[in-house]
Amino acid sequence: MSRNDGVWVVIPVFNEAPVLEEVVTDVLAVFPNVVCVDDGSRDGSVEAVLRTGAHLVRHPVNLGQGAALQTGLTYARSRPGAAYFVTFDADGQHRLDDAVRMVELARSGAADLVLGTRFAGDCADVPLRKRLVLRAAVLLSPAGRRLGLTDAHNGLRVLTRPVADDLDITMNGMAHASEIVSYLARSRWRVREVPVSIRYTEYSRAKGQSLLNGVNILFDLSVRQRGS
Amino acid sequence: MLIQVILILAVLGVLFVVVRSSGAVYVQASKRIGLLLFALGSVYAVLRPDDLTALARLVGVGRGTDLLLYALVVAFMAGMFSMYQRFRHVDRRYTELARTVAIREAELVNRERGLHIVPAVTVGTEPERVEERGR
Repeated sequence: MSRNDGVWVVIPVFNEAPVLEEVVTDVLAVFPNVVCVDDGSRDGSVEAVLRTGAHLVRHPVNLGQGAALQTGLTYARSRPGAAYFVTFDADGQHRLDDAVRMVELARSGAADLVLGTRFAGDCADVPLRKRLVLRAAVLLSPAGRRLGLTDAHNGLRVLTRPVADDLDITMNGMAHASEIVSYLARSRWRVREVPVSIRYTEYSRAKGQSLLNGVNILFDLSVRQRGS
Repeated sequence: MLIQVILILAVLGVLFVVVRSSGAVYVQASKRIGLLLFALGSVYAVLRPDDLTALARLVGVGRGTDLLLYALVVAFMAGMFSMYQRFRHVDRRYTELARTVAIREAELVNRERGLHIVPAVTVGTEPERVEERGR
């Protein structure tokens, strides 16, 4: 029995074959429970997951990253003993020791939900363009400002069981990050940010979000039906 | 010109309804009443084009057909947004369906791979909470 038995790591996967096996293997070395949600990949991502000891959930069709996260949480939620849920990007940009520190913080009871932030301290390693896009995302999000968040779009999060039970991501695409923040602003959960560092490899850089996609996100969020 | 005020208000009204609507009954009803009125208005305009022109003059538009075109643009926009919302609603159900299928299959696959030591407590997702809406 390891200390991290109650921790489930949710990794949304979409065409990440080149790095996936290594990322999953690394995560499994620390957290024994990993669920990879394949969102209709057309490369070898599925085979890569099957070579590891991670659980695999396959969307029959491509639904989007938000939907994949929710599927992973729903799956992990119904595993016996699951108490903490970590969301982790498949491209290897997150560092495991950051995730471990965040789980420790959640376990200490000081927060119901822990978010990674790239901007708490020194952020020289974040490319300038990326920094501007992400800063804009925070400034444009009234919910994020209210919570005093500095980084609304970090893929590394730790949710405690009550939060994971309550959260219901309806934004299937990339708007889910903003959706989570506005959900948090409406809720009573205690949210803490933890500085994390991101490994901007050539691989993850090529997969990043563009500023234009921010327009799509804002549109989706403002036109969705309230309360549904 | 009066027409400019009316059109701008109409466009803002459509946007407001779209952004704020909660799928409430009155929104549905007002959409239908709006559609009905638009249809009746169109019939009337076909039968008595001169009246339409008179109305157009009243609000500062040259011809009745121009007024009809403006009304059409606003109605088109409202229709587009309405379709978009309908689409989102369908999309949400579709996601729930795909998710349930995916998880059900994963339970079997992962069990075969020997990953389940203890049988899972529940299978599948909770039933959808989206309230039923009329068509």
